[in-house]
Amino acid sequence: MLKSASGALVNVLRKSLVPAARISAVPLRRSHGGPVESDEEFDCRYEQFFNRKDIDGWEIRKGMNDLCGMDLVPDPKIIKAALHACRRVNDYALAVRFIEACKDKCGNKVNEIYPYIIQEIKPTLSELGIETPEELGYDKPELALENVYDM
Amino acid sequence: MANFLLRRALLDAVRVPVCSRASSSSVGELAKIGNREWVGYGFNGQPNYVDRPDFPMPAVRFRADTPDIKVLREKEKGDWRKLTLEEKKALYRASFCQTFAEFQAPTGEWKGVLGWSLAVASLAIWIYMGMKIFVYSPLPESLSEENQKAQLRRMLDLKVNPIDGLASKWDYENNRWK
Repeated sequence: MLKSASGALVNVLRKSLVPAARISAVPLRRSHGGPVESDEEFDCRYEQFFNRKDIDGWEIRKGMNDLCGMDLVPDPKIIKAALHACRRVNDYALAVRFIEACKDKCGNKVNEIYPYIIQEIKPTLSELGIETPEELGYDKPELALENVYDM
Repeated sequence: MANFLLRRALLDAVRVPVCSRASSSSVGELAKIGNREWVGYGFNGQPNYVDRPDFPMPAVRFRADTPDIKVLREKEKGDWRKLTLEEKKALYRASFCQTFAEFQAPTGEWKGVLGWSLAVASLAIWIYMGMKIFVYSPLPESLSEENQKAQLRRMLDLKVNPIDGLASKWDYENNRWK
């Protein structure tokens, strides 16, 4: 009886611990002592994620939000792939928003990193017809929000 | 039988009641967003809109689909180089409420916070002055300088702490401090 009970327990634990399906934007393994992903592998993984032909807006947003939650500035090749993905799902606002988010990720080194990013993604921008936030006038506050207590 | 009961108890303990959560809260949230498009996974899984730098793509578009926005969206499917700057800005504002520069702009709220904090802190000084004038009796006589000197003289006369304290520092032969 004890043996069969412990067998059932093991089965339950195994089902709860081992995920049923793997999601592509999430690394395969999050435990310590495992293989460490190099920066190049990370960039390639995200580039491939955004380069998927059947990607939809939901997944693009998920990938961008994940990138913005990490302690890094996305590599220009990831940004390029993301802009192309925005083009495929016909979402212009998303493309501009992602460039803005990448600028915000530069933190206090924005004067060093952001010009480099713009220089690298410039061909993609002119190819797709995307304006930088500066060209749209979004580097400075444009509109003010009405105070919710005055509405 | 015991085996079955144990398994049920374990399953009940680890399982999250998915259906109950989805039916109770998601429907309510969906009613709130009206006919805005739900385009992504919200920061807590709900269809909500907040401009956040660490989560820049909110789950819903900010504006509901009006006919002129629908026209713009049709135009957006074509070449983006043919869109005018105004149309691009309109598209941005249809998806998002504020730009990064706008929601990160300083509000100047700190001035009010600092001012009111100091005003409230100064209230304590007014209360103290009121107490001083209307509540407290005058300080006892023994706190005057004359009385303090007399008290010290008496302590010396009593030879308080003669080894390493007060009296040890007094020269009793010449009647002055050592």
